[in-house]
Parts: sequence; C-alpha cells; structure tokens
Amino acid sequence: MSEAAGIPPYSEDQAESARLVRESAAGFLDVGRARALRFTMPGFSREAWREMAQLGWIGLLVPESAGGAGLSMIEMCALAEELGRGLAPEPLIPCAISALLLAEAGEREVLGQLLAGEAVVLTAWQDRPNTLEVCTDLDRPRCSVPMAGGATHLLLPGPDGLHLLKAADCTITTETTVDGGHIGTVRAQPGRPIGQAALGPALDRAALATAAYLLGGMEAAFAMTLSYLKTRQQFGRPIGSFQALQHKAVDTRLQIALTRAVVEEAAARPEPALCSRAKARASEAAMLVQQNCLQMSGGIGYTDQYDLGLYLRKAMVLAPAFGGPALHRARFMALSPELEEV
Amino acid sequence: MDLITPREPQDLNAMEDEAFRLHVRRWIEANYPPELRYPPRRLHWNENKVWYFKLAEKGWLCPGWPREYGGLGLSPAKQIIFTEELERWGCARCNDHGIIMLGPLLIRYGTPQQRAFFLPKILSGEHIWCQGYSEPNAGSDLASLRTTAVLEGDHYIVNGQKIWTTLAQDANWMFMLVRTDPAAKKQEGISFLLVDMTSPGITVRPIINLEMHDEFCEVFFDNVRVPKENLVGEPNKGWEMAKALLSFERIYLGSPRQSAYALTRLRELAERMGVWEDPVFAATYAKHRADFEDLKSLYGRYVEVLKRGRPLGADVSQLKIIQSELFQRITETMLAVAGEHGALFEPMAGNRTLHPAGLYLQARPTSIYGGTNEIQRNILAKNVLGLP
Repeated sequence: MSEAAGIPPYSEDQAESARLVRESAAGFLDVGRARALRFTMPGFSREAWREMAQLGWIGLLVPESAGGAGLSMIEMCALAEELGRGLAPEPLIPCAISALLLAEAGEREVLGQLLAGEAVVLTAWQDRPNTLEVCTDLDRPRCSVPMAGGATHLLLPGPDGLHLLKAADCTITTETTVDGGHIGTVRAQPGRPIGQAALGPALDRAALATAAYLLGGMEAAFAMTLSYLKTRQQFGRPIGSFQALQHKAVDTRLQIALTRAVVEEAAARPEPALCSRAKARASEAAMLVQQNCLQMSGGIGYTDQYDLGLYLRKAMVLAPAFGGPALHRARFMALSPELEEV
Repeated sequence: MDLITPREPQDLNAMEDEAFRLHVRRWIEANYPPELRYPPRRLHWNENKVWYFKLAEKGWLCPGWPREYGGLGLSPAKQIIFTEELERWGCARCNDHGIIMLGPLLIRYGTPQQRAFFLPKILSGEHIWCQGYSEPNAGSDLASLRTTAVLEGDHYIVNGQKIWTTLAQDANWMFMLVRTDPAAKKQEGISFLLVDMTSPGITVRPIINLEMHDEFCEVFFDNVRVPKENLVGEPNKGWEMAKALLSFERIYLGSPRQSAYALTRLRELAERMGVWEDPVFAATYAKHRADFEDLKSLYGRYVEVLKRGRPLGADVSQLKIIQSELFQRITETMLAVAGEHGALFEPMAGNRTLHPAGLYLQARPTSIYGGTNEIQRNILAKNVLGLP
C-alpha cells in the first residue's frame, strides 16, 4: 500500500535529504494540537513557531550566506506535506517566502529575528482576492494575508522596491476563515523601501509549497477514510467491500497520485509553468479528494468532532491561496511552449 | 539450442542515452515507410510487413530479448527510449504478439526445443502470432474460460471459441489459454498452448467494429489436434504464466502517446473551426493540456521504476485508467468543436489525419480492452488500497 506511486525524479541524495526533513517534522503530526488552536488569536503557537525556527525551517530556502539552511524546494515540499498531514496552523510557507525576499533585498536585522522565530513577517502582495497579480500601489489596502493577526512585520511590494513595516504601524483587520484561522487586510503608510527583490519566484515557491501542504492533507484524510471503509459495518459486512465505494476510493487515489507526481516534479525543477501546473492540480484535487472522503465517511464526516472535516476546511482555505486552479492553469498555458507535433 | 548470431553487431547498451536516441531516430526516419506514419487503425500484415522485415533485417525486431536469442538485449532504460522513438515518428504497431508476449514467455518458461523451434521463426517473420485469451463468456472474468483441451495420446484435442482475437486473420500461430482440468478451481485448471492456425478444424471470422474495421476476430475450434509438446510450462499452470505477462501491458496501455496524438489533432481542429477566441474552449483545452502533462509526470515515475530494473506493482493500473479516460475526454471535446463535421465517416477535407469521429470511436474501447477500467479499479481497490 505504498504512497509512492513510482519513483520521484530525485537523486539518491535528494531523496535522502527529503526523508530527513520529513522525519524532523514528526512532532507536528498531532491534529489535536491544530484543533485546539482553532478560533483563537493569533491562531498558532508562538512556542511551536520558535521550535520551527530552531529546526531551521523558516530559513529553509534562504541561502546559508544569509543565515538560512540553503535547501531546495524538494525539502520544502517534503516538509510542507508533513505539516499538511498535521494541519499545522503556523504561517511557515508565507514566512519562508518573506525570509527569501528579505534576504534578497539585503535586509538582515528583521531577517535574523524571523529566522530565530522571534518575528513573524508576512508579505502583503495582493489587493484583491482571486489574483496572481502583485499589487505595487502602496495606496491600496492589501488583502487575504494569511494569519495577519500574528504578524510582527509586514512586507509590501511598492513601485520602488520592498517596504518593511512593523505591524504596530499598520492597520490590520482580520476575518475568520472556515478552518478556524484568519486572513487579514492591511492598510499602511510606508516610508522608504529596504531594497529590491523579485516577487515572482517567491510566489511560485509559496504556491508550490502550498500544493505540497494540500497533498499532505489529502494523504491524511484518505488514510482516515480507508481505515473507516475497512472497519465500518453495514448490511453485515465492511462498507469497503461495496464496489461503488471501492471505485470512489480508487478515483480518489488517482487524484492523489497525479498530485504527488506533479508536485514532486515541480519540487525538483521549480520553473514557473511547473509550479502553476502543480498548484492547479493540487487545489482542484484537494477539493475533490476531501469531498469524496467526506461522502465515503457518511454522517460522522460531517461532525466537527471527527478530524476529517478539518482537512476539508483547510483545503477550502488553501485551494485559492496563492492562486486557484483556473488562474494557475491559464498561467501554465501562457508559459508553456506548444506541444511537439505528433 | 544453437545460438543465433545477432545481426546488430554493436552493443547498443554501451552507448550514451542521448547518442542512442539519435542513432535510433536517424535509422527510423531513414527506413520507416512514410505512407504508414500515424495509421488511423491497426494495420494488417500485408500492409505493415515491409516494416516488420526492415526491423528484422536490422536485428532490431526484438529489442527486449536477450542477444543470445536474437534480440538486442537492451536495458529497460534503452528499451523505453527505443519505444519513445517509434511513438514519436508515428510508427505502426507490427503484428507483435510473438515479439512482446510469446517470445519473452518462451524465454522464461519454454523448453529448449520450443525456444529453438519458435524464436527464430518470430525473428524471420515466418510465424505471425495472435493471442487467444477472451471468450464469449469469459471477458472480464477471464479465468472462467471454457475452451477445452483434452489429452488423447500424443495430442490435445481443442474445442471451443475465442473472441476479440486481435488480427487473427493475419496470424498463422496462436498462443491460447485452454481448460485442461475441468474439475479444478477455475484459475488452476488452465494451460498455455501453442496452436498452428492452419490446423484442420479452425475457423476465423473477422468482427467489424464501430470504425468499420476488422481488427478483432472470433476463432472457432472444432476437434483441433495439437501436439502435446506445444504445451508451455506445466499443465494447469497457464494462468500464472499469462498473468506474469500483463504488467508490461498495463504500462504500455498507460503511455501518454494516444492523448498526445489526440491533443495535437484537437489543436488543428480548433484552428480550423476558429474557436481559440472562445473562452470556454480555451479553458477546456487548458484542462486537457494540464491533465496530459500531469499524466506524463506520473508515467515518468513508473518508467523510472523500469529503468532501475525493479518490478512494477499493481498500482501501475492507475496509468491505464487515467490515460484512457483522458484520451476519451479529448476526443469528446473534438466532437463538440467539430459540430456536423464530427459525424463524418472520412477525415475532414484537406487533412487526412484530422478525423474527429474516427478518433472518438477509436478512444471508446481503450477503457474496455486490456482489462476494463472497472476491473482495473477492482484490482487497485483490493491489491493497492487493501479494501476487503
């Protein structure tokens, strides 16, 4: 019952490195922890945040010369997948790209605090929902900033470069999301930019890591569902013996296998078109998979007490985050060379 | 047996992958009959034997067989490149049941006499093989097959009927599954038999399919005498041997080539019908294209398993389901775009490869043959997901 579905396009060293990162995340697989943090402010644990910093995760992608771990998207995706299994609410992915941007812009002070787990720096790049376009108009409020209530600093792209602001100097309003977390709208009066950094590659990495997080959630929800299918008895036998449910389970598995294939290929080669294809697949598959799992679990799946619904609600939040399927498919098409004639 | 001197003097495994690819590509482009590129259907022996003999003469007919049996002895990685190059150029499938199914089976399970007699005749094109598995009442439930072979002296007497036998009318030999022990549990009474199609008592009747093509046949057996030395392996052990050959089929049927071909046709059609500006079409095309690329990503992971010389697990069936259903969706979009032209019996005027109805019909059986997609889902549910 391997989850692997073939062999990913990693070298042996890369595969081993990904495995080590996965192992280091073993302490974050407890969904009970995530459940307890729901509907609180800031909605994540400062203690867990410092632990993540000590493990080197916040600076995982940051070059060693800037104090990071200098690892690749292969390790980042392996980590994000594990965090997705455990539904970790800490804003690791948004902060990992903020760290990249700070490093690229040459900022070191706040970067140091961020990598130490003392700061939470969120990048407020969009001025409307459902977009991939980076807003550089500093007069416009920035929206959909994940876990903005816990931010110590905000990074805003402007026409003249990146602006770094203390959260206390911004007006932040938050709206609760269905997973018990929140998103925020940020209004700020920026001063002088700290430097230049390219948003495109950072947002690609955020989208890809989010795809991996969704993949972890799919695997976890599907494992719960399979175990339910094997034990739940109706009509005198396990419901997993019914062909209608078996075929639905297989169709669910196919979506997970496709997601893993494209996420891991993109992790090895995080080009814009591949990142977009991965996020498009993961976002769409996550919703399909979670819906199928809910259906196969029957009424119990619709209760808040059962963990399955936590995965559906997280998928509802993350499927559109950093761009949903339609946006990323259109971008994939725009970036892809035409098929070779056959 | 006498060793066959390979006609390909070079050890192609020693070449770098890319050099090998170019070497194969150049030879195919120089030697493949141009009029046979991208045939709209399986070709008959009288149409494609030119190509069979070209490959045979070059010593490239059986890339996967060991060199001592006349093959190329290519590593799995090189075999994949070889196949990719054939697909890239739109080469027709030969009458290849002897090459890809029977040859490897005899090399693994046959007696030295069987290997010495049959293998050279596949290599020379003297024997063209067909596969006799399905029966009218044994389709998805193949193990319930009822064609019998009863031993009388030195011969088996075969009675019964096979169906969906691909290109039986072109074949002069058939490898078949027969019931040799009617009392045993259904999988345990089956044997693997090699039958000369010119034997008295055999009738072949082609079946016309929805494309009006006679790719499949029914084959009837009326007291057909088969020498008992034509049984492969142990009596009543045929099921296991036949099953061992199927994992190749599952990855072959999961290759993205059909979807790639259909996508290219869809693009040509869209151009011709002027629908690129239609946002609904653009979104549908983007979905197909992304689905296709994701299938390629997944396929690549299984190719990697083969390249490392590891066995493919039951989960390779995933590819067959995904590929066939994508191929079907693309051709459904073609019909929607083509309007009335989607019902034309012949290719659209001015482009002999642009035939929406033909491709649509060609896509229909892909979810039926090689084990229906429902059977594949049953296998995945039980053997991969561990459901009861």
